[in-house]
Amino acid sequence: MAELNQEPMTKAQLEYLRRQRTREMRQQLVSFGLMIFLTFIAFGLTAMEVIPAQFTIPLVLGFAFIQVILQFYYFMHMKDNGHQFAKLFMMTGFYFAIAFCVTFVYIVWIGAPVN
Amino acid sequence: MANMEYNVPTERWPAHPETATQEGQNKFVGFWIFLAGETALFASLFATYLALKDSVPSDDHLLAADLFHLPLAFVMTMLLLTSSLTSVYAVYHMRNNNFQKMQLWLGITVLLGAAFLALEIYEFVEYTGLGHTFRSSAFGSAFYFLIGTHGFHVIVGLIWATLLILRNAKRGLSVYTAAKVNTFALYWHFIDVVWVFIFTIVYLLGVL
Repeated sequence: MAELNQEPMTKAQLEYLRRQRTREMRQQLVSFGLMIFLTFIAFGLTAMEVIPAQFTIPLVLGFAFIQVILQFYYFMHMKDNGHQFAKLFMMTGFYFAIAFCVTFVYIVWIGAPVN
Repeated sequence: MANMEYNVPTERWPAHPETATQEGQNKFVGFWIFLAGETALFASLFATYLALKDSVPSDDHLLAADLFHLPLAFVMTMLLLTSSLTSVYAVYHMRNNNFQKMQLWLGITVLLGAAFLALEIYEFVEYTGLGHTFRSSAFGSAFYFLIGTHGFHVIVGLIWATLLILRNAKRGLSVYTAAKVNTFALYWHFIDVVWVFIFTIVYLLGVL
């Protein structure tokens, strides 16, 4: 059922794989740094209220989307080959996610009494 | 899996051990479908929260801006974000066929996740003490259902990782166990993805 049928690799192939993985690790560390940085900025903007709320809200939401894309592409390896199904399913999931939020907020808004 | 080969020499360890078998590939595709379903689940909870935010029956109930403490949410975010990185390290060592380090990083992931969970329980206890409970208002129900479902996923992830560490401790690494560790890592990253939206939409936009 699940046997291992990997041909033995040469030293050069192993070295190549190791280097590739180290490079990937570096990319993942950079994206982790970016995520921490974006989190700091998002909390800082909200806590210090340096700019008006109507600017902070889209900015903070944008930072969240960038963080999630980094998480999907680098931490969950979506940038690698063979993730077409994963992309299709996650995009469908996000399509429904956004649709749910818009419809729920909208239905409460039109149901609210007019002042 | 009696005929499964454990502790494979590195020359014969595949470049992508988690999808080296048919079973591993099926697990991989199936789990992404599951994650898409989870997206829809959390989306409906987020939508409910956004629609019912600050819907309280009378003025003596606390609202989002009165309740949330940014420092606590910040510490929780840092814990979960770091635990996401440590599970990346676990997968990195799994691909490099380094079983001991993989176990070590999985253990660190569990510790960070447990710290996150402890803070979440502390937060819930504090809010219930202030009169903000699951039954006190529509806002309370939506809040606890959303954050509680995420917390439940964290508990499941912690049990999952602990069982993986214990079960694999004696038998070591094979293409069979590698797929399991990779699946857990995907799940853990997804929990972090959901938390990114929770801290943004619930906590940051809640206090604005």
